[in-house]
Amino acid sequence: MMSDQFRKVEPYSPKSSPRGARSPVVSRQDSSGTLKTTISLGKNPSIVHSGPFYLMKEPPGECELTGATNLMAYYGLEHSYSKFNGKKLKESLSSFLPNLPGILDGPGQEDNSTLGSVIAKRPIGGKELLPLSSAQLAGFRLHPGPLPEQYRYVSATPPKRHKSKHKKHKHKDGAPPGQDTPLQDSSNPDTYEKKHKKQKRHDDDKERKKRKKEKKRKKQKHSPEHGGLTPNQHPVP
Amino acid sequence: MSTSLENLETQLEMFIENVRQIRIIVSDFQPQGQSVLNQKIQSLVTGLQEVDKLKAQVHDILVPTEVFDYIDQGRNPQLYTKDCIDKALAKNEEVRGKIDSYKRFKSHLLSELSKTFPNEIAKYKAIRGGE
Repeated sequence: MMSDQFRKVEPYSPKSSPRGARSPVVSRQDSSGTLKTTISLGKNPSIVHSGPFYLMKEPPGECELTGATNLMAYYGLEHSYSKFNGKKLKESLSSFLPNLPGILDGPGQEDNSTLGSVIAKRPIGGKELLPLSSAQLAGFRLHPGPLPEQYRYVSATPPKRHKSKHKKHKHKDGAPPGQDTPLQDSSNPDTYEKKHKKQKRHDDDKERKKRKKEKKRKKQKHSPEHGGLTPNQHPVP
Repeated sequence: MSTSLENLETQLEMFIENVRQIRIIVSDFQPQGQSVLNQKIQSLVTGLQEVDKLKAQVHDILVPTEVFDYIDQGRNPQLYTKDCIDKALAKNEEVRGKIDSYKRFKSHLLSELSKTFPNEIAKYKAIRGGE
């Protein structure tokens, strides 16, 4: 141990290991090419470099496919690249599935209908799918009338957006709405009627407000405080 | 898209349409609609049977699970493909840049070393075979 402290460590000597304090005497596997050395163990262990240069190794073999190659061209993906990068892809899921009704763009976690949950917790399967018997169908006899309030608007039409204001005007003019799919409108006649009623109420409110404003303006014109004519100032016919 | 996938897509769309029609019937149920409802429920079962039959045709189609994250977030799954292509392209360019840099470094190092150690570098080049 004491001798170790006084032993000179020459950092560039072949006797010292290039990898720190590891002994050069012990042979080890070289994974990065063939090391041109001869290592002999025994009484007088030594390392004889057979090559002309220290640590000279065989270079790795040439590879046809490297990162320097244009991999898009190599694998014939240029068409796919131009297809996906040429046009702007829409963000929403509903743009990918335009024919499906209902709300598609909401996150699946809200109603626990994620695909991830199907993978994580696989549904029980393997049973044969058989048509229902008449006794089983008897369980589907329903009471007549509309659904209760709490079940009525589940996965119904999507919430109104600001863009729909323009479409309301289009709708008033008789033009069909662009964003709402015909499937949704036809599937919920009740909601369509309710929307129409809401629009009517909204219009009625606007008209009432306008009338009130007009009345106020008339009062202000005729009041003496605001510079209107007094009864004495009315022109005599 | 292959025919088997198109068939599956058509079958699933028909199934969803069936479910939508059941929802309309149920939302404001009338007694005379009971027979129609029963027929629709039976067609649900047959629809599931058809989808089950089609699974053999698509068993070899592999879908990366990362796409499901996009769908669960309500995003277009084609964006996943686009993101994969963009990442692959970016990585390709990064590695090409590294390879170019190393090549330039090697040539620069050799040229400088040959100025300082001309004999040794000549020996080295002879061994390497003029790489």
